[in-house]
Amino acid sequence: MLKNFLSLIFKSVWHRPMRGWLTILGIIIGVMLVVIIFALSSGIQNAVARLLQQFGSDLVIILPGKETNPFLGLAGGQKFKEDNLLDLKNIRGVRLVVPMNIAILNTEFKGEKKSVMFHSQPWREYRVVAEESKALKLIEGTWPEKEDAREVILGNRAAFKLFRATPMVGDELIIKGRRFRIAGIFSEVGMQDEDNQIWMSMKDFQALTAQRGMASSAAVKLEPDANAELIARQIKFKLSEQEVVRDFSVLTPAKANQLIGNILSVIEISLLLIAMISLIVGAVGIMNTMYTSVLERTKQIGIMKAIGASDDAILSLFLIESGLIGFTGGILGIFFGLIVAWAAGIAAANFGIRGLFSLASLDFFGLLSVLIITFVTGIVAGILPARQASRMEPADALRYE
Amino acid sequence: MKNNGAQAKIDVVCGMDLAPYADSVHIRYQEKVFYFCGEYCAARFTQSPEQFIGEPLIRLDTVWKVFRLGATAVEVLKGFSLNIWRGDFVAIIGASGSGKSTALNMIGLLDRPTSGTITFANNDISLLKDQERAQLRSQTFGFVFQQYNLIPWLSAHENVALPMMFAQKNINQERLNASFREIGLENRMAHRPLELSGGEQQRIAVLRALANDPDIILADEPTGNLDSTTGNKILEMLANLNKTHNKTLVVVTHDADIAAKADQVVAIKDGRLVRNHKTYKYVE
Repeated sequence: MLKNFLSLIFKSVWHRPMRGWLTILGIIIGVMLVVIIFALSSGIQNAVARLLQQFGSDLVIILPGKETNPFLGLAGGQKFKEDNLLDLKNIRGVRLVVPMNIAILNTEFKGEKKSVMFHSQPWREYRVVAEESKALKLIEGTWPEKEDAREVILGNRAAFKLFRATPMVGDELIIKGRRFRIAGIFSEVGMQDEDNQIWMSMKDFQALTAQRGMASSAAVKLEPDANAELIARQIKFKLSEQEVVRDFSVLTPAKANQLIGNILSVIEISLLLIAMISLIVGAVGIMNTMYTSVLERTKQIGIMKAIGASDDAILSLFLIESGLIGFTGGILGIFFGLIVAWAAGIAAANFGIRGLFSLASLDFFGLLSVLIITFVTGIVAGILPARQASRMEPADALRYE
Repeated sequence: MKNNGAQAKIDVVCGMDLAPYADSVHIRYQEKVFYFCGEYCAARFTQSPEQFIGEPLIRLDTVWKVFRLGATAVEVLKGFSLNIWRGDFVAIIGASGSGKSTALNMIGLLDRPTSGTITFANNDISLLKDQERAQLRSQTFGFVFQQYNLIPWLSAHENVALPMMFAQKNINQERLNASFREIGLENRMAHRPLELSGGEQQRIAVLRALANDPDIILADEPTGNLDSTTGNKILEMLANLNKTHNKTLVVVTHDADIAAKADQVVAIKDGRLVRNHKTYKYVE
C-alpha cells in the first residue's frame, strides 16, 4: 500500500516540468552552502590552531590596535618605539624581546622585479625563538651572525615560486637599490603569507627604510615556568606608560586562539545566515512550484477524488511530494557541497594551506539533520498548496482545463 | 415493501407526448409519472406497483445548484427532483448547458447542492462530511467521463489500480490482469494513456470505474468523443454491466440510441425535469 503510494508520488515528481527541477536547484544551493561552511570551518580552525602551536606556548605577541578589533593586525600604521619594547626585558619571567617590523619592499633578482613582504627582527633573538619553537627551520644556508651584514633569509615560496630563476644561497638580491646576500632558505610553514616573506635584520631594515628606533610589533619569549597571563598583564601596565601607541594588544597564546576563534565564528555565523536565507528562498521556491503544480494538476486532483481519493490522501500526496523535493535537494546539496569543499581543500593545499577540508564538524548526524531539515522545509512549504488541493470540490476541479 | 391491494390511486394517462415512445402508456402514481412500453406491463404495474418500484436507491429532492461567477449567479439546477431504482439503466438527456452533468455530479457526490436533499439508500448524503463522501465515492460509485480522464503520467495498469489504492485495498494483480484480458487490452497494460486510442482509453476508464466493484456506474457522455463503432462497443460494455452484473447505470447523453436502451429516460431543460420516463422492468 505505502509502496504503491510512494511510487505514485515518484512518478508525478518525475514528470514535473523543468521548473520543478529548478526549484530543487534552489534548495541544493542552500544546502551546498551549509555543507561547504561546515566542511571548511573546522579545517580553518585546525589550520590556525596548528599555526599558533608552532610558535609555542611561551610567546606573548604585542600588536598595535585594540583586542576587540576583529581586524587586529591588519590595522597597522602605528609603531612602537623600539626602546619601549626592549624595556620589557626587565619584567621578571621575560627571557627575550624580539621587536619586529613588516613592510613591502621592491626586490629584484636577475632583472626580475617584485614587491615582497619583508619581516625584520634582530637575528640573534629571533633565531632562539624560531629554533626552540621549531616553527622555522633552515633547509639551506645558515643564520646570519651579524646584524648589519646585509643578509636575508628567504621564505620557502619566496625562494622557489616567486622568481622565475630560483635564487640560491650566496646569490644577491637587490632590495630598494641595495645589494643583499641570501644567507639561507626556510622550510615551508604552510601559510602563504609566511612562506612568501623575506626575513631581514632589524638594523638593515631600519637603515633601508629610514625608520630608526621603531617597531610595529614584538614577540616576547618567556622563561619556561613563567605565568603567561600574569606577565601579559605586567607588559600591558608597562606599555601603558608610553604615549606613542595608545591602543595595543598583548596576546598570550590562549588569548590569540580565542580571538581567532571569535573572528572565525563571526565569519561562520554570517555565512550560515546566508545559507539560511538561501534555504528560505528555496522553501519559497518549493511553495511556488507546489502552487503551480496544484493548479496544473487541478483536473487530476478532481479525477483522483472522483475515483475515491479522500482529502487526506490528496493532502499527503502533495505533502510527501514537496517533502521529497526538499529531500532530493538536500541529498544533491550535500553531494555537491562536499565536492566543492573537497576541491576547495585541494586548491588551498596548492597555495600552501593544508588540511582545510575536514568532516570533523559534519559527521553522520550532521548530514542526517541537514536531510531532515530539508525534508521538513519541503513539507512546511507544501502545506498551504496541499491543503488548497485537498479541499477542492471534485466537480470544480474536474471542470478545470 | 408491501402495499396490499394497491390501494393507492393510479391514473392511467394515455396519449403520449414523446415520439420514440408513442406506443407506451404512462401512469401517474403517487404524484409521479411512470412510462411503460406496452399495455401488458402497464397492467402488471397497476396490480402491484410497489413490487416493481420499491424504495428508490437514490432520491434527489428539489435540488438547486447556483454557481456564482462574480456578481452574477447562474442557476444550473432549479428544484430538480429524480428517483433512481437499484439495477436500472437511467439515461439523462438534455441540451448542453441544461444541467444534466451537474445532476450526475450531484448523484455521484462530486458536487454539493446549494439547497435540497439527496438521499442514498434512505440516508441523507447531502449532509455528509468530506471524508464520508470520499468513502462513498470510493466504495459505491464508479465514474466514466467523456474525456476518459486517465492520469497521464501513470500506465493503464496503474490507472486501474488507483481506486484500489485510494480505498486502501490490496491490489489483486491476478484479477487486474484478468480484467485487462477480458477487454482484450492485456498487451496495453504498461502503456501511458497518450499512447492509446480513444476507444482503448475509454475501455480502461471503464475498468477503472469497476476497480472497487461499485454498485453504481455513472457515465458522463461516455461515447461523446468516440466514433459510432467504438462508442457502441463502450455502450455495450456498460449495458452488459447493467444487465448481467445488475449494476445501476446512470448515463448522461444526448445520443437518442443510448436513451432508447435505457429503463428510465430523464430529460432536463434549463435545470428543470421536463420528462421522466420509466420503463417497466419485471422483477421475478
